[in-house]
Amino acid sequence: MNLKKFIVPAVVLAMGTASFSAYAAEKVVKIGNILPLSGPSASVGIQGKQAREMAVDEINKAGGIKALGGAKLKLLFADSKGDPTTGVTETERFISTEKVSIVTGAWNSSVTYPSTQVAERYGVPFVVPVSVRDTITERGFKNVFRIAAKDSWWTRDQFRFLSDMQKEFKTPIKKVAFVYENGDWGTGFAEKWRELAKAAGYQVVLDEPYPSTASDLTPVVLKLKRSNPDVVFMTSNAADAILLTKTMTDLKVNVKAIVTSGGGHADPSYLAAVGKSAEYLFDIVEWETDLNRPGLKETNEKFKKLYGYNLTGEAVDAYASMYLVKDVLERAKSTDPNALRAALASTNLCGGKTGLLAYNCIQFDQTGQNRNASLVIVQVRSGKDGKMERITVWPKNVRRAGYKVVFPQPNK
Amino acid sequence: MKFLSNVPTTHKVFAALVLAVLYALPLFVTSPVMLQIFILIFFYAYLTSSWNFVGGFAGVLPLGHSAFVGLGAYTSTLLYLTYNISPWIGMIAGGIVAAAFGLLIGLPTLKLRGAYFALATIAFAEGLRVLVENIEKLGSFEVRGPKGLLINLVGNSFRDFQFLSKVPYYYIILTMLVLVLILTFFMMRSKVGYYLAAGGEEPEAAEALGIKVSKYKLIAMAISCFLTALGGTFYAQLVLYFYPKSIMGLDMSYEIAFIALIGGRSTILGPVLGAFLLRPVGELTRIYLGDTLPGLHLIIFGLVLIIVMRYQPRGLVEPVSKWLTAIFDRIENRRRA
Amino acid sequence: MIGYIESVINGILMGSIYGLTAVGLTLIFGVMKVVNFAHGSILMVGMFAAYWFITLTGVNPYLALVVVVPLLYFFGYYMQKIVIKPIFEAEKHVREPITVIIVTTGIWYVLDNLALLVFGAEFRVAQTSVTGKMVEVAEMYFPLAKIIGTGITLLLGVYLYWFLKHSRMGKAVRATSLDREAATLMGIKQSRIYNIVFGMGCACCGVAACVLVPFYYVYPTVGVPFDIKAFVIVVLGGLGSIPGAILGGVIIGIIETVGAQFMAATWTEMLIYAFFLVVLFVKPSGLFGLRQDY
Repeated sequence: MNLKKFIVPAVVLAMGTASFSAYAAEKVVKIGNILPLSGPSASVGIQGKQAREMAVDEINKAGGIKALGGAKLKLLFADSKGDPTTGVTETERFISTEKVSIVTGAWNSSVTYPSTQVAERYGVPFVVPVSVRDTITERGFKNVFRIAAKDSWWTRDQFRFLSDMQKEFKTPIKKVAFVYENGDWGTGFAEKWRELAKAAGYQVVLDEPYPSTASDLTPVVLKLKRSNPDVVFMTSNAADAILLTKTMTDLKVNVKAIVTSGGGHADPSYLAAVGKSAEYLFDIVEWETDLNRPGLKETNEKFKKLYGYNLTGEAVDAYASMYLVKDVLERAKSTDPNALRAALASTNLCGGKTGLLAYNCIQFDQTGQNRNASLVIVQVRSGKDGKMERITVWPKNVRRAGYKVVFPQPNK
Repeated sequence: MKFLSNVPTTHKVFAALVLAVLYALPLFVTSPVMLQIFILIFFYAYLTSSWNFVGGFAGVLPLGHSAFVGLGAYTSTLLYLTYNISPWIGMIAGGIVAAAFGLLIGLPTLKLRGAYFALATIAFAEGLRVLVENIEKLGSFEVRGPKGLLINLVGNSFRDFQFLSKVPYYYIILTMLVLVLILTFFMMRSKVGYYLAAGGEEPEAAEALGIKVSKYKLIAMAISCFLTALGGTFYAQLVLYFYPKSIMGLDMSYEIAFIALIGGRSTILGPVLGAFLLRPVGELTRIYLGDTLPGLHLIIFGLVLIIVMRYQPRGLVEPVSKWLTAIFDRIENRRRA
Repeated sequence: MIGYIESVINGILMGSIYGLTAVGLTLIFGVMKVVNFAHGSILMVGMFAAYWFITLTGVNPYLALVVVVPLLYFFGYYMQKIVIKPIFEAEKHVREPITVIIVTTGIWYVLDNLALLVFGAEFRVAQTSVTGKMVEVAEMYFPLAKIIGTGITLLLGVYLYWFLKHSRMGKAVRATSLDREAATLMGIKQSRIYNIVFGMGCACCGVAACVLVPFYYVYPTVGVPFDIKAFVIVVLGGLGSIPGAILGGVIIGIIETVGAQFMAATWTEMLIYAFFLVVLFVKPSGLFGLRQDY
């Protein structure tokens, strides 16, 4: 009976952990966090977890929640594996067993979508730092609040950026191509692109979904090359972003610009993997390390010292979400869900630690969407040490001082 | 109750006792999380028992059963969302659709060597998933490709197969499980069951005796797919949101096969035992170690599988039932004495 | 027109590499009648080995073959000897070795997730002397790494063919695959043959890994897409046939590249599965399979 050897320690461990957490339940406010800690989106999940831990550590060291007699924040994490059913189960566990006051998460839209439904059913506030799908805040829910921008804002800003670039560099763009992973995220972006391209009068020369688990993307790149577009819009996860970028360089696909949508193209391991092949690429993100924001340098230094890499958009949203939670608890002066919901709805959080974000204030509209959330576009360039760097270029008022945007990109 | 005549009294008493405890459980366990864990255990036990009809009794290894879970979920949900047909009726429709696909795929492949059947079922499941991901609209049905289907909340409604509490789901899946086990019991003692048992061991010999083994294998395949699809509808109504990768992915297919082999295939209780062992191990390691050691629960799955197959190739049901029988015998002897 | 020629040639290049990833699978199946589900994970192990060797030493990427291939041979040899053999023995007289198939799935889960624990969820790309090098022919570009890979595939195919046909060991392997009992009576030690064949199958994965690393990324689950493709290829080419596997790979490669020029890439994926099922229905022995072993 070898199985016994496995099960007995697991059960003992489980019981131990459960009773231990029951002991520590004095004067703490529990925050449940659902993140993809394993599976294909594990790396962003881990970024979100570490940023939250750093923020909560700071908050607790500074005396916790003063309105609640110095109560400490206690973070609980659950691994969603990027799977909706697990996300739902874990949300339920947080609310009914762990009795958390607020739930946050879950990065993958497909997990956030049904998980917020659970929170709504139980009437517990759910703060969404990042999850782009529009409909998350468009179902008339009272308990869902999103900090980051949504899908339609991302695509809108990609097209605004393109029209600004044409004006600035007097380079007309006529033909555009769409290449996107055939998941929920990629097809959602493509739908919006089609409408925007039509409105802007661009000719769509290629509209190509591909399976993100494909073992070879040469066929897609050959097709892209043949369609000869001026600009390519892409939505990719990490593995396919790497394959596409390398193959496009290899096959010498010449376009005026490549505009990508974060995700795989914003993954820290992406630039390390493709190196110079990514030169001149434009990526849209909610945030970038070179933004000129108060306190950013110090916070980034601290983060880098703790975890060994720079802050990312996901990390900053997660970091800000903890300060939002603190602000809400201070104003609600209780952990009653109704008080928390009212406090969240009337949020007007400006400056301070949330000033790291690319914009000034967090304020929620009727649907629970942060109305100030904005996006920036960066260009990838190789730095002096040969390392690839992401430089903020748009909107023009946040462009890195002294940087000259390369548009259109030179032929390969 | 003639068919039960050869079952010893203690076994009957024990089975009745276990059933009584399980049916009474929601009276004591009120935590929705615990109930959810039980629901998923029963759900997997149900799927594996359905799988058992072909994977156990027909002696082949189907590795694409999630396709039938998906067919059931998609059929009933599309009928509900498009024509407002109650999922209870859609459930049966899904079963019929799945059975038809099962026959289609089984007809050419069940004749072949087991390896071909295993690979064909994988290719079928993956092909079907990719197909669904490519379909936005099918006639008047909004399939929505990779975006998946969302069932709107309507509150407590039996007709809509939706409940705010976990308890109704618990009873539904427990009852489904009990029914499929009873069906398995009858199947094992029926003509089909005997022919399949004969065909699994020595197909040539059975054919020589005039038994059309492939015909009975096909019947088993159709029953299995039908039952699996019913589980798909249940799952759809439980989570209210699914998309091709979440419901037709190969992970679920493999997990079903894992549970069956660890518990003991071609036995009645093997799938239940397997689900009761494997599911909680997965849940507990994910809850308590998932944030520090990602992927550990899958390593444990794999190791448990290898170790059980090494020392109990027929599954854990064999030693467990020996052990139980020994206890029963003692009780019996004491009663007699 | 030139675009289509470019597509076809690219399809053949990538396809023969798919074939290469399937050779080990078909070899193991041909002799042991076991579908090795851990095949993709073994490829992943080979890719990590090749990646670290190339990155740490900085030598020519194909020198990694000298290290990775023997490494994977012994990895496979001992995995068969320690993990698979005892289970196989217990099932010796059963017609379908289902338990063994399922155990290889268990090995896959363990290997992939161990790699995740050890190496983390990070994508790695080796920078080698052939990475990004292109060969230009009449305005068509072909990656040098894939051309070399195709050459290595052909060499390996010829070698294995010669080995099985003419070498003493190869004859013993073939005898075992045709009739286990008779071969044992002739004094061939079956379990040793199985160890060797399993080792060779894994060594083939090692070759494929060294061919892939110069132009591919390395990741704990990198084997999974190749895995399913390899299953399709070996059935297409005839389970157990080595030339069949390579040709099957080329066919898949051509369908993938040429098909994508007429439809979305998501539909070509579908097309491959459909083609596979049709072959299975019409000619279960595969396009090039000769043995009536199904």
